[in-house]
Amino acid sequence: MEEVIFNIRRFNGINSYWQRFKVPVKRGMTLLEGLYYIKENLDGSLAFRASCRMGICGSCAVRVNGKPMLACETQILNLKAKKLDIEPLDNMRVLKDLIVDFDDFFKKHEAVKPYLIRDDVFYSKPVELLQTPKELKEYYNFTLCIKCGSCYSMCPAASTRGDYLGPATITAAYRFCADSRDKGKNERLEAVSGTNGVWRCHFAAECSEVCPKKIEPAKAVQKMRKSAAGYMIKKIFR
Amino acid sequence: MVGVKGWFRIRGVSLQSLAFSLQRLTGIILLIYLVAHLSYLTSIRLGEEVYTAFISLTVRPETLPLDSLLFLVIFYHAFNGLRVVLNEFGILYEYRRALLYILAALAVICWLWSTYVMYIYVMG
Repeated sequence: MEEVIFNIRRFNGINSYWQRFKVPVKRGMTLLEGLYYIKENLDGSLAFRASCRMGICGSCAVRVNGKPMLACETQILNLKAKKLDIEPLDNMRVLKDLIVDFDDFFKKHEAVKPYLIRDDVFYSKPVELLQTPKELKEYYNFTLCIKCGSCYSMCPAASTRGDYLGPATITAAYRFCADSRDKGKNERLEAVSGTNGVWRCHFAAECSEVCPKKIEPAKAVQKMRKSAAGYMIKKIFR
Repeated sequence: MVGVKGWFRIRGVSLQSLAFSLQRLTGIILLIYLVAHLSYLTSIRLGEEVYTAFISLTVRPETLPLDSLLFLVIFYHAFNGLRVVLNEFGILYEYRRALLYILAALAVICWLWSTYVMYIYVMG
């Protein structure tokens, strides 16, 4: 069995430090299994987030050798490294070891109203909202976001502006604006066209590079930027 | 938030991010150069002799490598900026990596050409 060194950046609430662990690795073993091995056999105080173990919940995103990835989907031997530097996501406050504070991230999501907005839906009389396959295709890819925070972690615009909505939030806004059933486009455009919105993006496109679901957040941001430009011009003449 | 160092990440980032970092770096260099250049031009207010003395100080074979590097910075910033503008309008987004290579190659070609022209001018 091969041995890989997990060099983990830990944080105990006061100090941040690196700690090394030797992890025996077999073929197919994931990074998350490695972290569980450490917790169960070497140091029970190691803190990390994980839930579904199948790339659905987005809880276990960490940075490995600088690049964010889902620990549950990453096979250790595929990384082809004898030593892995494992750190918490960037651009978010670290709570403990590999756990970061997502409160702000989700508050930003709330700001763009990531749900269908309609004025003619009455829950006492539910109606089916029809959509053609073409209309579905328009936004479907962007529904796959699992809100793992990888894109936000690597965004250089979010590095210098804490209030920047970030790629995941703007992608969520685009996902609903592009949905033919939705009627809340203007509300969302108002939210993303501020100084903390789409104009903060400088197209490093790293969000698209690191997205574990390959949903291309940078593309959604640019599409949203175009819509926001039109919205702001119309607003002047209104 | 990691601050300005988030603009200059090297480890674990893609070519896109490196292009972004270089765009920022070349932008800062060009800003500093612009201030120096304008200060230099303002020296003409002190008299033609002062200005000519400055010119003879910088336009000479020894400073040619610096001028050449300046043109590399200018061409990189201009061509990469063009790429960013195109991509931000949603043009050629899917080909963003190919566009990066093509425009970087164009920047290098223009840089070599400009260096050659400067070399001929300075060396006579």
